Amino acid sequence: MSDNVQKDLLKKLLLRSQNRSRLWAAIAALCVGTTLLLLSVMIWWNFRELLYGKNQNDTLGSTYLVIGKKVTDQKMGDATATLFTPQDVDSLGKVPQVEDIGLIRSNYFPVYASMGGKLPLSTDLPLQCVPDKFIDKMPADWKWEPGNVYLPIIVSSQFLDDYNYGFAPSQGLPQLSETSVKSIAISLEIGNGDNKETVLAHVVGFSDRISSVLAPESFIEYGNKKYGKPGMTDRLSQLIIKAKDPSDVQFASYLEKHNYTTNPENLRWSRMRAIVEVVTPATGFLALLLMGISTLVFILFIELTIARAQHSVTLLLQIGYSPRYLSRFMTSRFLPMILGTVLISMVLAIAGQFAASIAVQPQGLTLSTLPGWPVWTALALSTAILVVLVNKYISDAIKKQI
Amino acid sequence: MQLSLQGIVPVPLRDKMNNRQSGLWQRSLSFTKGEYVFIQAPSGTGKTTLIHILYGLRKDFEGNVNWEQTGMTNAGNEALALLRTNSISVIFQDMRLFPELTAWENIDIKRKLTNTVTEQQANVWLDRLGLQDKKQSLAATMSYGEQQRLAIVRALMQPFEWLLMDEPFSHLDHANTEKAITLIGEVVKQRNAGMILADLDENTYFPYTKTIIL
Repeated sequence: MSDNVQKDLLKKLLLRSQNRSRLWAAIAALCVGTTLLLLSVMIWWNFRELLYGKNQNDTLGSTYLVIGKKVTDQKMGDATATLFTPQDVDSLGKVPQVEDIGLIRSNYFPVYASMGGKLPLSTDLPLQCVPDKFIDKMPADWKWEPGNVYLPIIVSSQFLDDYNYGFAPSQGLPQLSETSVKSIAISLEIGNGDNKETVLAHVVGFSDRISSVLAPESFIEYGNKKYGKPGMTDRLSQLIIKAKDPSDVQFASYLEKHNYTTNPENLRWSRMRAIVEVVTPATGFLALLLMGISTLVFILFIELTIARAQHSVTLLLQIGYSPRYLSRFMTSRFLPMILGTVLISMVLAIAGQFAASIAVQPQGLTLSTLPGWPVWTALALSTAILVVLVNKYISDAIKKQI
Repeated sequence: MQLSLQGIVPVPLRDKMNNRQSGLWQRSLSFTKGEYVFIQAPSGTGKTTLIHILYGLRKDFEGNVNWEQTGMTNAGNEALALLRTNSISVIFQDMRLFPELTAWENIDIKRKLTNTVTEQQANVWLDRLGLQDKKQSLAATMSYGEQQRLAIVRALMQPFEWLLMDEPFSHLDHANTEKAITLIGEVVKQRNAGMILADLDENTYFPYTKTIIL
């Protein structure tokens, strides 16, 4: 009880001159500054997660490019002219923007696909394979061993679109959802004559990255070895590369110089991504600046409060109150305000992240429902810096009155 | 707690002091606990300056002031606060009360620092100096005489080994001076403390053991 009386008296002496509207303005500035800082870190982290994260968002940034050699009039007659040589692959590997190269290998054994039921389609089917790490949406059951009857395949999303919006309406065939396609069994006859076998292929996923039909590497290797034309080897007509920034001018000119083609849409998106990468840190810088200004406003408010109570502070020190005691008292008054603003900013950041995770869902993207660790780190750091600064400025302002 | 002074002189008074004899300035003196020291100081000889130097409010002086081991020249803020809370109390000439607090609050804010004087005791002392009806009055609205009596009671709200007084009865009439002298005398004796009282004219307020002409 006695402590409370003493605190009430100190409050009366030191904080009575506090201007309420200025106090709320300082708290609001601090809250806005902290929230903006957290939001900018959140935006930066979310973009990072979408572009580079290990989740299912790889197609967004498409730092992966499928490249081939341009077919020109001169090369038309020479089938080997558009194939990549080991030297080409080595040379590409030395380009600074290239982080990884994957070989896209094709089947050189006959594959004949046919579907039964309402879709009496049958066709020769070219298959390709890439190393697993280059697959954008890796299905859980992506494996095949000789003797397995079921073969998982990945189809380009573009194929399904072409069928649904082009082929099906024109031929009076039913349109198909991704789920229904996955339920269709496709009979694949591999080999020919007496040397052939049949496997049942199931579409297990769709790719936005590679515009062909993908089968596990083990299947292509098995087929090429067992049913491939004698004397044939892998013919590399396409490569998949992981590029740091495909929109980089030097990288683009390298592709042009070597007559390599790629999906220009990817390059355009990469350019957008490059802009986002510039804009986000700029936003962060602005938020940091705002946070700095709002901290300054808050500290100035504290200094002003102490300066207004200068007479009381001096007299309290003269009758025996220690500077440390008065500093602690003042800090204990301002600390709940700081923690309150931090709490509000934290709630806003959590709400913002939750809203962002819901907003990106329709685009088929995944974001965590809670802010990532950089947001928490920024929150902890900014709070710690704020508390240390406020403590220091209160202590200095009180010592000034001695 | 022993107080020792070694050749102290306030910088602003240095030239003036070179031309006159003083019983304290530029001399080496020491006072032991329990002494009643009277400093007789004609106007302008640095009476208030001396009290402020002894209490650690001024550092613009030459020489050394030591309260036992604590030198006032180098004492840190926390050490000074400790000294002012537990060992030295003061009655300022200009009272130095909180004008925005009531008489009781002025007493309480000092009392709560150490809690060595009970609320009941504080009330009794206020009553003895005739402030019973003024407890809820703002210090700013009290007369100088009332403020001085309040400042006297406030100075007694802590434990001390020395009580410094700077013209403590300058605004009091004879009857109130007598009451204040009795109260201060009792409390100082009770605490086995010493006192240093600085005033303009010779007096017999207390049984002084040492008188010094400043």
